[in-house]
Amino acid sequence: MLLVVTYSRAARRDLRNVCRAHEDCVVRQFGRAALFSGTEFGAFQALRLHEKHGLDVQIEHVEPFEPSDVPIHVREAAERYEAREEPATPYKRFASGRDIPDPEHLRGVDL
Amino acid sequence: MKLRVAGTTYTGAVVDLRTRDVDGRTIAASIRGQQCLPAVSCPDPPSVYAYAGHVHPSMGLRTRTALAAAARSQGHETPQDEAIDDCREQLTELECSPPDLPDPVESVPDATIDGLQETIAAYRGRLTAREAVGADDGTVQADLRDAAMELSERETRRAAAIETRELRRERARAYRDALEERRRLSDALANRRRSARATLVDRCADAFARAVETVPGTAPDDPFDADPVTAALAVLRVARTPAPVVVETDRFRTLAAASDCLDAPIVRC
Repeated sequence: MLLVVTYSRAARRDLRNVCRAHEDCVVRQFGRAALFSGTEFGAFQALRLHEKHGLDVQIEHVEPFEPSDVPIHVREAAERYEAREEPATPYKRFASGRDIPDPEHLRGVDL
Repeated sequence: MKLRVAGTTYTGAVVDLRTRDVDGRTIAASIRGQQCLPAVSCPDPPSVYAYAGHVHPSMGLRTRTALAAAARSQGHETPQDEAIDDCREQLTELECSPPDLPDPVESVPDATIDGLQETIAAYRGRLTAREAVGADDGTVQADLRDAAMELSERETRRAAAIETRELRRERARAYRDALEERRRLSDALANRRRSARATLVDRCADAFARAVETVPGTAPDDPFDADPVTAALAVLRVARTPAPVVVETDRFRTLAAASDCLDAPIVRC
């Protein structure tokens, strides 16, 4: 899919117009962004906005995501942290002394 | 004030132009310094004149905004002023022009690189085999050299493509970060202006209510519901009015009454 984000009022207005006129290629619309279908038509609509508004329109390729796409230790860390008994504990403190990665480590590793 | 309309010069605190074929809007624009003709010489009008400097029956008025400007003309300040100046300064300093991006370089597909690597390996094998039987005639060597050169070229181009892509993304991101920052600052500025205006309106609300009662016209229960002409006159009565006000309404019996009521020089059109 294509994520289209607008950075000016004019670009945002045109994005809204495209979304209204071509619902079939819009998977989801947010305030000033939208998710277009990963088809040539979706790309065509995204590129039209880019042609007209240049860098005020950002287009990113978005891949579908499943939790299983992520290494098991990350998933476990999320699961255990969300099941913590003390809601006010920050993750850094929660991770220390447990068998889960600390936030600095997670930040340093690309998916 | 000194006013020159089509060859005639008018001076004094009150000027009546009703017999002259002149548009009140034009005079008001001259007073605000937006045009040079007709020539008007008078003190600089404060910003409230942009809202209420020309009073006429078909006018509209953003009463609260105009009243806030009137408060400013009286020298009122607000706790938000410093933050407003900060925001404005940051906004003017923010560089937001779209960057020049290097032209994209078409990348070389992995398959092409893999294919060339395989070709080279095959040539190497063939070369070793030929050398072993003493049948090296140089053609395999030349093929190998050509293939190696092509591989090197393709790899260079692929590296350039990756580098260019990164550079394009970085610059685009920096630009969009600046746009986001500008949006954030504009929002903050608008919020602070709104609350400054509310502060000013609050401070002048009583004076405004009294003025609405005093100026000619009907005074509704809520002074902010007053019709635009009444509201504009009341705003002017609250404001400091060193520059002439263009009055294009029959509300006042005499021009002297208008001048007294608004405590302002008057141009009647």
